Amino acid sequence: MVEVNMLRIRQGVFLKEPNECEKEGLCSEALSISRNCRHYAMCKVDFLETGVCASGSEKHYASFYPVGRMDLYAALSDGMVPVTEKCLEITDSCNLCGKCDYQCYFVSEMRPSKVMKALKRYVNDFVKSGGKIVHCRDDEILTGFKAIVGDFWATNDPAVRIAYHHDLCPHVTFHMPEYVILPGTKEEISSVIRLLNRYDIPYAVRGNGASSHGLVFSEGAVIDLNRMKTIEFHEKNWFVKAGPGVASYDLQYAARQKGYRVHTAEPAALVCANLMTSGILSTFSTTYGISADNYIDAEFVGRDGSFFRLNDIRSPNLFSFDPALSEHPPFAVCVSVSIKLHPVTHDEEGVLVPFASLGGALAFAEECAVRHIGLAIGILGSDFVSTFMAPSKKLAAAVKRVFEEKLDMPFVVLVIGDRYAMRAIREMGHPVIDQSLFKTLYMGLPSLESAEWLDLLEGLSDDKCYSYLLLSGFGELASIALAPSPAQLARTIDPELRKVFTDIYSRPEMSDLAWLNTFRIQSSRYCRENPCVALVCYLPVDVSLITEILRGLCSIADRHGIRNGFGFITPFDNGKRCVWEYDYYFDNNDPDGLERIRQAAEEAGCLLDEYSRKTGTVRQVRYVTNQGCCRKENLLYAWEGEELNGQ
Amino acid sequence: MANNSDRSIVLTGATGFLGAFLMAGLLERGYRVTVLGRSSNGRSLVERVSSLTRWFGIHADNRLSCVEADFSKKHLGLDDHIYGSLCAHTGKLIHCASDTSFLERNRARVMEMNVKSISALLEFAEDAAVEKFYYISSAYASGIRDGICLESPVTGGSFTNVYEESKAMAENSVISACERTGIPLCILRPSIVFGHSGTGMALKFNALYYAVKSLLVIRDIFIKDILEQGGVRAGQWGFRLESDGMLRMPLGIRLKTMGIVNLVPVDYFVEAAMRIIEEPGSFGIYHITSDNPPEITALMEYAERFLHIRGIRLVLGSLARNSELNPAEELFNKFMEQYRPYLADTRSFDRSRIDRITGGLAVPPFHYEVFRRCMNYAVQNNWGRINGFPC
Repeated sequence: MVEVNMLRIRQGVFLKEPNECEKEGLCSEALSISRNCRHYAMCKVDFLETGVCASGSEKHYASFYPVGRMDLYAALSDGMVPVTEKCLEITDSCNLCGKCDYQCYFVSEMRPSKVMKALKRYVNDFVKSGGKIVHCRDDEILTGFKAIVGDFWATNDPAVRIAYHHDLCPHVTFHMPEYVILPGTKEEISSVIRLLNRYDIPYAVRGNGASSHGLVFSEGAVIDLNRMKTIEFHEKNWFVKAGPGVASYDLQYAARQKGYRVHTAEPAALVCANLMTSGILSTFSTTYGISADNYIDAEFVGRDGSFFRLNDIRSPNLFSFDPALSEHPPFAVCVSVSIKLHPVTHDEEGVLVPFASLGGALAFAEECAVRHIGLAIGILGSDFVSTFMAPSKKLAAAVKRVFEEKLDMPFVVLVIGDRYAMRAIREMGHPVIDQSLFKTLYMGLPSLESAEWLDLLEGLSDDKCYSYLLLSGFGELASIALAPSPAQLARTIDPELRKVFTDIYSRPEMSDLAWLNTFRIQSSRYCRENPCVALVCYLPVDVSLITEILRGLCSIADRHGIRNGFGFITPFDNGKRCVWEYDYYFDNNDPDGLERIRQAAEEAGCLLDEYSRKTGTVRQVRYVTNQGCCRKENLLYAWEGEELNGQ
Repeated sequence: MANNSDRSIVLTGATGFLGAFLMAGLLERGYRVTVLGRSSNGRSLVERVSSLTRWFGIHADNRLSCVEADFSKKHLGLDDHIYGSLCAHTGKLIHCASDTSFLERNRARVMEMNVKSISALLEFAEDAAVEKFYYISSAYASGIRDGICLESPVTGGSFTNVYEESKAMAENSVISACERTGIPLCILRPSIVFGHSGTGMALKFNALYYAVKSLLVIRDIFIKDILEQGGVRAGQWGFRLESDGMLRMPLGIRLKTMGIVNLVPVDYFVEAAMRIIEEPGSFGIYHITSDNPPEITALMEYAERFLHIRGIRLVLGSLARNSELNPAEELFNKFMEQYRPYLADTRSFDRSRIDRITGGLAVPPFHYEVFRRCMNYAVQNNWGRINGFPC
């Protein structure tokens, strides 16, 4: 047996040639899939209700989920980890059920099961050929961790640690942790932290959900809270208390079962982690707000291992916001959050209101927010609309062309609301893609590009844009022309998965705008083609300011040859402010591309900083990191003491 | 035939439907042509014009030149040297460039192009001391009126759309400017121009083409539904395939009155324009219109025959409420909205002057064979969307 301590980690390893792979007993397709894993962790939540990886649910380490096996396979191919005992266990624990294919394909059009098979083949061949299986010895510190959390829940095996080594964030130098520890209670967390402090070991804490911002890595230890998935409802006081391992989807699902909605982020994002990082942002921020608006209380374990609560007068003032440009280290470990429950009415539905210009879309969205029309509002660019709707990259590109060129809808405003909100929107005189027409377009998406009848729309004479949407016959004719059906939508999908997806798309909620925006299962598709750096900021709903910044962001990206696009804008706080995401996409397997995105993102950050100073109203979300429980008032409006130009 | 003068005919709008055919006609007759225009969609004027000459199969040699110009600017946006040279070598000026949008929402754009830009061209005509100014207007610049429209200047009135209005305003500007400067003026007023009566060739597929394309697209939607989906939805609205293979397509075209559609083929337009250009004594206004225009019912019959459909009918009088329409006719009537006034048009056009100047040049009759030829050309070229189609 060979002892392995720290492995030297290389950064920026890139694709091998197929023949090189073959020589090493690797599958180039599987390697390509594993290197393109986005680490959004959609394989950890049962968002399609097709089941979730059994071994991950049982063993909780990221390594036992498909995402971890993808990392492991890539690391084995790069020689970053040897075949260890845990490697065998991780490999064996996959039963090749294929559930990860449904989840991953839905989001990123990839088939992790090909990697799972390749991993099994590689490890089996290694064992058969008499390769040495590495045993990792416990050191004194690990023994201490095991004494706290139990033998299984702490390890220094590199096959496990590799899954805690990196994500696709282009700005971070990644570190392989020496230890991964999975405590089961807040008391265990406290004891682990005290032990780490005693040995002066740096650590990062993660809930083991999505990871894309490089925030959960440490060369010392990673404390993984995936085991702590408690959900307790306190309906009398309109909140639900969630443990740090609870993912947004799971909490939303539980709330839905009881007839409520919670304000959550993307399905695999963890609720407590959101509080610790940016706070929760979504199209529902229009009604439910941001940051401290969403929480009743939260519990923490401090860096010294002590316990405290948000709602405790002796606690640090976590409602404040510090605009200092330096990075804010995590001040504590959030071990539960009591998140608000919101009522849901039976008549909620969604509409898409099309606009030919950003100015028109902003004015409408602002008016809705000011007048409190709708629960959720989002201005979406055609990139987002097409990517969210289309089950494949190829179809998304076609749909984008249709929205931009044939329908002349570069922007749509999504509004979710009750029947009174819907009535108000109609009274405002805007033609809309209503729920029924959305379903028609969505389920008939593959026929949309070749629909010649759309060419005729440009010849319509009305001075009002999109007036055809007001015709009762338009939806009917569209329905006859597109022949929408779940099978039709699934026709562009990998034939092996088509049947399953036809069944999935047959469910009513899969074309229900209100449901889709509550559960946000499609939103992770926005990085299906390439991962992206999301430039997110708060700012006034000011069309000239936004247009000016947009031009600047676009120009930076263009200069660096980076694909970029308007993401979304959601107004909130009665239309006084909005949150805007602008996206820079990059190829994580291209060294030159990585260098360009780093430079572009830095320049974009500087540009936004400049607008912050110039206006005293623009706030980048990156500065909110680890201040997610602040009051929005402190975050957005309290600029006193900050250096501003022109004031 | 063209004379041997070094001075060329300057033509605007050569990348449009009428302008392109005029350019081809002039080149075929041996004229030297200078095209004034602009680049568009990343293609230079030279590229745009070259694609047209290729399409026409014309070898222009050195008789065709292009000058990128901006009609909204003094001296057409050209530097003094080029402008001076252009003035020195211009014989006749044909202003054919036009924004043909009927849409009120495009008013500013249409007025800018069709009315405001005239002044720069008139200034150019004066600077160049052109032999004659030819302005391509529209028969419908006469505005809405009962009975016959004379080949005479517009006198007030109301208009169907901003295009007609702009053309009337432009005519008046041109007339008063030419009176002031003494530049001889001819105004050519074509009605609705469609493809070449002999070959079917056309460059733009709006107006009559748009109506036929709308019917074709609707037809194909229902045929697909019948063949691929069992036709339950189609049947619900009365659409069905009949035993002879024709599609029963119940579709009412809503018009206030029975109309006469004044159509002329582009070859007639070009031939008439050439005779006017080549006749030294030409001046004033000429209607390039049909003396025997078809009724709307004839067009409907041709469309049914061409598309293998039946069931198209006229619904005259007050417009039916949308709830009474099937989805196809609701959409079709919506598509037809901007052309509806021309389908219900009862105006006729005086042709005394055109007949005199062209020596009684006959308008090719508009019968089914011409209709079929033109529509076939449109379909074969996917309504101008096939690769390589000049635009």
